[in-house]
Amino acid sequence: MGAAAVLSISGLRTEFRTRRGPVAAVDGLDLELPAGETFGLVGESGCGKSVTALSILRLLPRPAGRVAAGSIRFEGEDLLALPEAAMRRIRGNRISMIFQEPMTSLNPVLPVGFQIEEVLRKHRGLSAREARAEAGGLLARVGMPDPQSRLDDYPHQLSGGMRQRAMIAIALACRPALMIADEPTTALDVTIQAQILELISRLQAEFGMSVLLITHDLGVVAETCREAAVMYAGRIVERAAVARLYARPAHPYTVGLFRSLPRAVGRGGKLTPIPGTVPHPAELPPGCAFQERCFQRHAACREDPPWAEVATGHFARCWKPLG
Amino acid sequence: MAEALLQAEGLVKHYPAGRSGLGRGRAVVRAVDGVSFEILPGETFGIVGESGCGKSTLGRLLLRFEPPTAGRVLYEGRDVCGFDARRLKAFRREAQIIYQDPYSSLNPRRRVGELIAEPLEIHGIGGPAERRERVAALLGEVGLRPEHARRFPHEFSGGQRQRIVIARALALQPRFIVADEPVSALDVSIQAQVINLLRELQERFRLTYAFISHDLGLVEYLADRVGVMYLGRLVEVAPCAAICADPLHPYTEALWSAAPMPDPAARRRRILLAGDVPSPIRPPPGCAFHPRCREAFDRCREEAPLLREVAPGRRVACHNR
Repeated sequence: MGAAAVLSISGLRTEFRTRRGPVAAVDGLDLELPAGETFGLVGESGCGKSVTALSILRLLPRPAGRVAAGSIRFEGEDLLALPEAAMRRIRGNRISMIFQEPMTSLNPVLPVGFQIEEVLRKHRGLSAREARAEAGGLLARVGMPDPQSRLDDYPHQLSGGMRQRAMIAIALACRPALMIADEPTTALDVTIQAQILELISRLQAEFGMSVLLITHDLGVVAETCREAAVMYAGRIVERAAVARLYARPAHPYTVGLFRSLPRAVGRGGKLTPIPGTVPHPAELPPGCAFQERCFQRHAACREDPPWAEVATGHFARCWKPLG
Repeated sequence: MAEALLQAEGLVKHYPAGRSGLGRGRAVVRAVDGVSFEILPGETFGIVGESGCGKSTLGRLLLRFEPPTAGRVLYEGRDVCGFDARRLKAFRREAQIIYQDPYSSLNPRRRVGELIAEPLEIHGIGGPAERRERVAALLGEVGLRPEHARRFPHEFSGGQRQRIVIARALALQPRFIVADEPVSALDVSIQAQVINLLRELQERFRLTYAFISHDLGLVEYLADRVGVMYLGRLVEVAPCAAICADPLHPYTEALWSAAPMPDPAARRRRILLAGDVPSPIRPPPGCAFHPRCREAFDRCREEAPLLREVAPGRRVACHNR
């Protein structure tokens, strides 16, 4: 792992109220995010990756969702124990977030410049004039064409890629220590996705910040992250340096993902899908959540699998890890 | 070259763009703007491009869901817009579509059995008992069970729903299927199940696919030949293997280089295109790609390049190739 952690999550359990009673979307999640690099969190829909991000920022929809257990340590404090006012000073300031769909996270009735300036005035205490100048500078840094005149544009006047640039400008306004990017390019076309990923990588290096990149796309992780974790049914099932993870995946679920991927299998190769579907969080089997879909399931899988170190810095939550 | 099953000749589709605005002339969206290609029997023809490039409109034109503004679609050599009622009905049996979203393409208030039997009823095929049998068989073909016929779509996962959609598309024993982003709404592990199914069915029933997708990895994997669209036009048509190994059009090259590879060892030279796709209401003059092209020169700004053959089976629309 090497670098110190910018954020440590331990034993996180996030529950949602449902008709069937409380259901854990995330359960027993431990994660240390390395400082000063881009870390990937991969998983399919419903695995709990976005809920993890919302738990960090304490932005869970209320009253349906709540963190039931665990701690999230960041800059010497447990975020889960902070009073709301202190949390507000961290949110958007020390930790910022960008979402998949910039159209829903930007305010449609305010010019983008105003929305960037607001962050600068509220969090960094700049005057209106200073904020205006800084906002223009930020838009330039995120590669917005013609940044000064874009300040007065409303979100709907920008293309999808430009909106995501504006979101990133807002996220960067306070020089956060950690930026959480939740599927930041999923709504974008590939050529625009390439621009935004390049931008995130460049800004990560320039600002020396840490980035938590949440995605379902193993290609995106391969191109942007140094290290990554794979989530399944509310827990991390594997973690390794990206080069290692892709060369020698150890958890059967990760192996299954790669075997399902046309580009990893190659033309003429055979796709081997993972049988079945993800179980509902209320109906997880005891022990390993993946056992019913696993190609090497055996008796021990009824017990909680250990977090096994397969190789230095490469972990898998499995009784019989490969790799 | 084998006789084409389907042929597009100079296909154009323009839509009126909202209000006519202040000016006199109505603005039009040039969704498809002069497209010619052919689909051979038994092949998978991939149609790729980014959102708004016109690939879905093209799919709809191929199926005669709407008439083209200009140009023709030939099915077995005959213009689909010239079909009489009898021929059109036969065409409707033989050509089917699978849409992206299995949540909106299945009526939530009808049972799966009814949904799959509906095309049989419309075309007056078989009696109730026969149809029930056929539905059970179709469910089996797509990896579901006969008893699923009694359930409603909401009782199924996304992958299973897409299987239902496929069963319905197969009900009339089609020859040609337009698959418009058929797995884009599904997770990777489920995608693979549906892709395998589509391949099996193609082999078993000798289906011809027009496979519309923005996912280059998928097209690379499935397609025999590929057409790349940009702003309503085909910029390149080639065998899939050739286009992956050696893309000719600068847009194809950039598109392929931009698609993330799930392989950290494959550090490729990524070509970053500047800017966004221009509006299909006011496409740039000349080659529509020229404002984003690194190789553009004077001629590209004035004259739209024609799609022409540059090597056997390879066509490209670029003044520089």
